[in-house]
Amino acid sequence: MKRPDLRTLALGGALALAVVAALQPEAQAERPTYDVIAYVDITGSMSARDYVTADGKPQSRLEAVKQRLAAAAGRLPCGSRFGLGVFTERRIFLLFEPMETCRNYVAISGAIKGLDWRMGWEGDSRISAGLFRAIDATRPTGADVVFLTDGQEAPPLRTDMEQTYDGEQARGLIVGVGGTDLVPIPKFNDFGREIGFYSMEDVPQASRLGGPPKGAENLPGYNARNAPFGEMPAGEEHLTSVKEPYLRQLGQMTGLGYARLGTGDELAAAIEANARPHPHAVPIDLSPAPAAAALLALAALYGTSLVARPRRRRPLNAQGVSS
Amino acid sequence: MTWIGFDHPWVLLLLPLALLPLAGSPLRASATPSEALAPRDPLSSAISATLKTLGVLAIAFIVLGLAGAHRRDQQVERRGVGANIVLLIDRSSSMDSTFANRSPTGAEESKSAAARRLLTDFATRRPADRVAVAAFSTAPMLVSPMTDRHDAVRAAIAAIDRPGLAHTDVGRGLSLAFSLFDDESTETSRAIVMVSDGAAVIDRRVQDALRDASRRNPVRLYWLFLRTQGARGIYDKPPPGEPDSPQTYPERHLDIFLKSLGLPYRAFEANSAQEVSAAIKEIDQLEQRPTTYVETIPRQDLDWVFYAFASVALLLLLGAKLTERRLDETPVPLRRDGALQPRRAAS
Repeated sequence: MKRPDLRTLALGGALALAVVAALQPEAQAERPTYDVIAYVDITGSMSARDYVTADGKPQSRLEAVKQRLAAAAGRLPCGSRFGLGVFTERRIFLLFEPMETCRNYVAISGAIKGLDWRMGWEGDSRISAGLFRAIDATRPTGADVVFLTDGQEAPPLRTDMEQTYDGEQARGLIVGVGGTDLVPIPKFNDFGREIGFYSMEDVPQASRLGGPPKGAENLPGYNARNAPFGEMPAGEEHLTSVKEPYLRQLGQMTGLGYARLGTGDELAAAIEANARPHPHAVPIDLSPAPAAAALLALAALYGTSLVARPRRRRPLNAQGVSS
Repeated sequence: MTWIGFDHPWVLLLLPLALLPLAGSPLRASATPSEALAPRDPLSSAISATLKTLGVLAIAFIVLGLAGAHRRDQQVERRGVGANIVLLIDRSSSMDSTFANRSPTGAEESKSAAARRLLTDFATRRPADRVAVAAFSTAPMLVSPMTDRHDAVRAAIAAIDRPGLAHTDVGRGLSLAFSLFDDESTETSRAIVMVSDGAAVIDRRVQDALRDASRRNPVRLYWLFLRTQGARGIYDKPPPGEPDSPQTYPERHLDIFLKSLGLPYRAFEANSAQEVSAAIKEIDQLEQRPTTYVETIPRQDLDWVFYAFASVALLLLLGAKLTERRLDETPVPLRRDGALQPRRAAS
C-alpha cells in the first residue's frame, strides 16, 4: 500500500475531528456573576415625566426605571442573583431576596413591572437616610446595592450641616434617574388621580429640621417663637431634575459608584462594572473548534477537487492510458 | 420546526457549502474521463449518488451542529393537584415580635420568622401550585406575580421577616390579592391565604370594591391570624354595655366582613408556631384541586447528535476512499479488443 494521499488524510482528519466534536469536550471556565439588590425610589418626584417612550410619549421616571431595570436584570449573566426593594420616606422595604436571574426572569420582570408609586407610604424623600439603610439591609445577604433615585431630597437638606456616613464602605452603584432640566412634579389626590402639579407654596423650600442655624435672627421674617428660621424663602424645590453632584458625593461617601440611567444594556454594564464579581464555574463547550476544523477540511477537500486539474502521470503503457 | 432552535443562526449561511459534494469528489479524478470506457452500470451510479449524498450530509450536519442546534425548552402542561394561591402577608412591624409580644431571642422566633419557615415548607410541599406573593402594611405591595417558579416564591417568602412598616392596611391588600389571579389560573382552584397578626378598619369604599371583586372573581379565602398574647382575638366579643365597633374590635369585625363576602372562607387563629403549622397543614389538605400547571423541560443541546451523524457519513466516505484503486497500482488486464475490463469501481 502506498502512502495515503492528501485527500485520504483530509477525509480521515475530518472524520476524527467530527468524532471528537460528537464526544463534546468541555472545559471549566470561571465567568463573573453578580449578586445585587435593586432599590427603586418611588417617591413623588419619580412621577415627574422627563423621559420619552420609543413612540414619543412622555414617560415618568418610575416607568423608565421599570422598563430599563427589567431589561438590565435580563442582561446580567446567568447565575447572577437579583433582589428588589423600594424606597420612600427614609426607609427601604425589601420585596424579595436575591434570586437567580435566568430561571426566574419572568417573576423578576413581573415584580419590577408591578412597582407603583402607590406602594409608597409617606411623602418625604430622605435619599441619604434611605441609601444608608439600604446598605445596612443588604450587607447580611452578601449582595451589592443598586440604588435608583433622582436624588431629590424632600424636604431639602440643611445647607449648613455636613452629611456624614459612619457605616462600612459598601460596593454597588447609585443610578441617577431623570433629566438635567427642572420639570414639575405631578400631584395626586386621595384617590390616586392626577390633579395638576406641585406649586412653590406646596412644598417646603428650605429645611426646618433641627434647631435654627446661627445668625437666624438676621433672616427676614424672623420671629423667635413663630418663625425661628425666618420666613420660607422662594425656591425651586417644587421642580425636579437629577441631582448628579449630590449623588456622586453620596457615592463617594459610601463607596458606591455612580451612573446615569441609560438603556438596559448600559445599566447592566454599569452594574457589572461596580458590583463585586462572583466567579461562577461554567462548563464551556469546546466542540465547535474541532467541528469547524472538520468543516474546513471537507470544504478544502471538495473545493480543491473542483479547481485542481488531474495531474498527468507518467504514461502507463503504449496506449497512453494514464492514471 | 418551532421546537428546534439555533444559538448562532448566522452559521446556517454556510449551508450552501453542502452543495460542494454534488460537483466535486474526494476520489481521484481521471485525466481521461470518458463514460464510454465503462458501460452503464446501475450499481455504480447508485454508489456514486450515495457517495455524493454522504458528502452533502456530512457537511450539512457539521454546519447544523456549529450553528448550535438545540431543542428549545418546552412547556409541557401537566395536570396536578394543587391550587392557584395568592399569599397575602402582613409586613407590619408587629410581625417582627414574638407570639408573646417580645423581641425575638434565640429560643423564641418572631411571628414573621415562623411564618417564613412554615410557608416555605408549604410551598416546597406543593409542586403543582402556582403562587403569587403580595405584602401589605401601610400600603399594598405586589412582591411576585403568579408564577410556578418555586425559587421565585421562596425568595419572596424569604423577605417576609425583614423589618416591616407601621400600619396594617388589610382592605387594600385584599383588593390587590384579588387582582393577582390571571387568566391561566383555573377558576375552581383560586385561593387567597392571608397571614396577619392584626386587622384594621376597612374603608367603606374599599369594602364595596372588595364585595365587587369577590362577586366577579370567586376565590376561597383563608385568614391565618397570628394572635399575640394579650391581643384581642377573632372571636372576642365586647362585654355587654361596651361599644362593638370596628375601631375597638377590628379582628372581630374583619371576620364578620369576610364572612359577609359570601365566599368559602375560613379563619384560623394561631397562638403559637405549632398552631400556625397545624393551620397551614389544614389549608394544604383543603386546597387539593385539579389544576393545570406548566412544567418546563429545559433545552437540550443537539449539536453532538449532528456531529455523530456527520461522523457516520464521513466513516462511510473514508471507507469508499480507502477501497479506491488507482489504475496504475493494480494493472487492469486489457481485453483483446483493447477496452478496459469493466470494474466495479467505487467511482
